[in-house]
Amino acid sequence: MEKGNNYFSGGRKYTNGEITVYWKPTACVHASFCYRELIEVFDPGRRPWVDMKGASTEEIIRVVNMCPTEALTWKWNDEEKNVNISPDQTNHINFRRPELIEKANTEDEKISVSVKIMPDGPVVINGNFVLEYSGNRKEFKEGYISLCRCGASHQMPFCDGRHRKIGYEDK
Amino acid sequence: MEQGKKETSLTEIKIIDGGPLEIKGKFSFRDLKRDIEDTPDEVSICRCGKSSDKPFCDGSHEK
Repeated sequence: MEKGNNYFSGGRKYTNGEITVYWKPTACVHASFCYRELIEVFDPGRRPWVDMKGASTEEIIRVVNMCPTEALTWKWNDEEKNVNISPDQTNHINFRRPELIEKANTEDEKISVSVKIMPDGPVVINGNFVLEYSGNRKEFKEGYISLCRCGASHQMPFCDGRHRKIGYEDK
Repeated sequence: MEQGKKETSLTEIKIIDGGPLEIKGKFSFRDLKRDIEDTPDEVSICRCGKSSDKPFCDGSHEK
């Protein structure tokens, strides 16, 4: 996932597609477990300071659970997995920030994907969706993609502007 | 497309090799050329430029 951070109620959230980590800076007491354990992910000297690609989901969960406050919390993106979380997962949002559970749900409700057919041009898709290339490669996407409709792009499946060169017209 | 409310089903966008673009789930659909605005459950959009039912796929890519 290219874009991993977003502002979110009192802080930011970061995802690797599998889990979301919430960061609430005002709750941080600088115990420094996070960066001493996993500098690859939590590096206060870097912007953004959380890089979800720096370690496995298991490692990230392990270290987020070490945070003594609610500064760092996490949840599974697959909501079904957030039910019956074991209490040793201390920093799951169910235990630390239950107020986020409802927020997350209402936010999901609002998620809307828009599909626009541009005249004589690409199809532009905006929102939060699962993109699957032929076969079984699935990835989570957030934001805009622009897909070729004229058949002439050299960057399939994406639009590279070639519809204009070939004079593509919707008929 | 009846699904349990608990399931947060993301809109699925599938690109078929040598075929159309399939979109399923919750989304708004607008065709700016034909001035169509709709919220269909699924659409299949032409990617080869040959369909005579644009922007939708009519199977022309196979010809």
